[in-house]
Amino acid sequence: MNLRVAFLVACGAAYAQTTDNPLAHEPQVVTAGYSVFRIYCSPCHGIHAQGGRGPDLTRGIYHSGEKDSDLFRTISDGLSATEMVGFGLDMSDTDIWRIVAYIRSVANHEAPAVPGNRADGEKLFRANGGCGACHVVRGRGGRMGPELTRIGRQRSLEYLRDAVLDPNKEILPGWTAITVTRLDGTKLTGVERGLDNFSVQFMDMEGNYYSFFRADVASIKREDRSLMPADYGQRLKAAEIDDLVAYLVSLRGTETLH
Amino acid sequence: MRIAVAFFLALAGFAATTVTEQQLRDAQTDPATWLTYGKNYAGWRYSELGEINTSNVSRLAPRWIYQTGQSGSHETTPLVFGGMMLVTGPSNHADALDLLTGKQIWHYHKAPPSGLGLCCGEPNRGFAALGEKLFKVNIEATLVALDARSGSVLWEKPIDDYKKGFTATGAPIIVKNRVVVGMAGAEFGTRGFIDAYDASTGERAWRFYTVAAKGEPGGDTWDGDSWQRGGGSTWITGTYDPELNLIYWGTGNPGPGMDGSVRGGDNLYTCSLVAIDADTGKLKWYFQFTPHDTHDWDAVADPVLLDMTVKGEKVKAVVQADRNGYFYALNRTNGKLLAAAPYTKITWSTGIDAKGRPQLVPGMDPSEEGTKVCPSLGGGHNWSATAYSPQTKLYYFGSTDRCHLFYLHKQEYRTGQWYQASTEAEIPNEPGAGAVVAVDPATGETRWRFEMVSPTSAGMLATAGGLVFTGDGHGYVVALDARTGKPLWHFQTGGNIIAPPITYSLNGKQQIAIAAGTSIITFALVN
Repeated sequence: MNLRVAFLVACGAAYAQTTDNPLAHEPQVVTAGYSVFRIYCSPCHGIHAQGGRGPDLTRGIYHSGEKDSDLFRTISDGLSATEMVGFGLDMSDTDIWRIVAYIRSVANHEAPAVPGNRADGEKLFRANGGCGACHVVRGRGGRMGPELTRIGRQRSLEYLRDAVLDPNKEILPGWTAITVTRLDGTKLTGVERGLDNFSVQFMDMEGNYYSFFRADVASIKREDRSLMPADYGQRLKAAEIDDLVAYLVSLRGTETLH
Repeated sequence: MRIAVAFFLALAGFAATTVTEQQLRDAQTDPATWLTYGKNYAGWRYSELGEINTSNVSRLAPRWIYQTGQSGSHETTPLVFGGMMLVTGPSNHADALDLLTGKQIWHYHKAPPSGLGLCCGEPNRGFAALGEKLFKVNIEATLVALDARSGSVLWEKPIDDYKKGFTATGAPIIVKNRVVVGMAGAEFGTRGFIDAYDASTGERAWRFYTVAAKGEPGGDTWDGDSWQRGGGSTWITGTYDPELNLIYWGTGNPGPGMDGSVRGGDNLYTCSLVAIDADTGKLKWYFQFTPHDTHDWDAVADPVLLDMTVKGEKVKAVVQADRNGYFYALNRTNGKLLAAAPYTKITWSTGIDAKGRPQLVPGMDPSEEGTKVCPSLGGGHNWSATAYSPQTKLYYFGSTDRCHLFYLHKQEYRTGQWYQASTEAEIPNEPGAGAVVAVDPATGETRWRFEMVSPTSAGMLATAGGLVFTGDGHGYVVALDARTGKPLWHFQTGGNIIAPPITYSLNGKQQIAIAAGTSIITFALVN
């Protein structure tokens, strides 16, 4: 552990004993916090903290702890095994506290209404929708798509709806389609597991894993499309889409939101 | 020191731990060492060593790996002399390493204070050396002199006040008996400058402000008192022409970065190349690449000094691959434009006029709803080190090929606080790519591109072996054919590379060194 990290950990330990933001009463702290939030946080949490690729922060529900010090630690250190990275080396403690003040200011504690029936959505997910063939939820499902066990925590409702109806709207790194043409002309297609200047890794629809150096194949094509079907809007009724989204919103890891 | 003498001393297991001003001027003639940021004062990053070449580079293999143990960006250009490799790390760490084994000889560290205004972490890009001293900046905007043999602190002087947003990250250069340094902090409403300090005492000899004050020449290019927060950081090391006695240094974006409405005018001398008298710090000439920038397109990239033939005439030139997407060649005696050409996709401008001013496309400023502009906030070529090979007469640099959405966000200035008035966002499903670009510096014509999956921040090294070495964001160190761009060798280091490679010789054998991830790795040929 280097000294800077040790310092941050020490700071974290000190802050853990206080629940209040030391800058909470500073004039303009929310405005200042929003300025920093716009730079570092809005790409995932939305420009008004309403969520997107990252959780909706306006609900005032924080899964890494409810205290100001918990929010500070999350911003500073990130959350392991999630997409939340730490910003402790990129921004000052003061700026992190300002962001905490901003996040508190937008928390209205009102969960957005979720239309649809969660239980029906789960049935759809497992049966007619075919979602489980490619997505794991709590240990069950296929491997071709991202695991969804915690997706209700990770994404906003609107983001999840968009992802069901238009999976190509935003393809996150690592989930594009890869087609490799081998030297003998045969083609292999799968989901990207890695692509760099000299090699490619991917998994085909049967779950077989491949890795090639570029020099050993004829071509590698990364396509800006998801392998997820893009026609759920036509295949499912509007009410079924609502049910499916309600189920996705309810997926919160070990717990389930009812 | 003559090459033969250096070779003999190296063979004897002994090498002098001093660097003279003459050695710095002659740095290009001593390929065994790496004495200053850009290899020579002209910033070529070219080595006469050709033992490793296009026919045998496939036999390049690691010799040692030093794990720094420090998190954060490793962006250092190592110095090599006296049997040591001298590397700076993030967060005020630095090491002297044994050149033969990579073992640590000494370690320097000073804990950074809290409350720093940081845009981009706490990196550091290298030492400068003179006599028995090493010089580096610390992140809290100080300049420190160390004893090269022990790492002991000889003196440390404040460059400016970190509580007002000033920081420092670039490698200094030595000019005569002075240490010339830049600063960072344009995102915090600072006013940029370049400083020179006496190498013996640390006393400041001169300061050149990169933002013209009211009443000064150029001061009328700022509305009201906006110059006081005008930015113009100088966070990448400049170059020096001893014959003209001029220092060339690129300047950063104006502040606030993307709200141009509060700082009407061209905003001199931001996003410019300035040529300043090495003795007095007075401005000799300037060339502004992006007047009234609103896209954060710092012009800090290496100003590389070349003597070349342009349209049949020999000319002393300075070239830069600017962040705004254009490559520029200027006459370095007077700052007049020689050539300009795009090297990546540009949507904000249709060309460069004869005087060097960009012809603008309307509606490209950041907006509340987001404005799509190419290149992206990081520009085409940003800060990473470039290289020029006199063998191929080509100029090499990394390019990011990407667009961004630029958002305007009005902001009040408060001392020491973030003041960019903006943000940017990736465009969904347009992730951007990168390339190593080889340009004919006389025309700006792109000769070849080595396409990369993602943008690169690694620097370049050119060698007499007909090679260009670089790295990538996926952890590979790469050797390309300098004439064609064909990849000839790569090695997976396991860490993101955001530093330039260097080369030197040890016991008569050519070595390559580079910071990768949180390690320093060296390579040599194996049988």
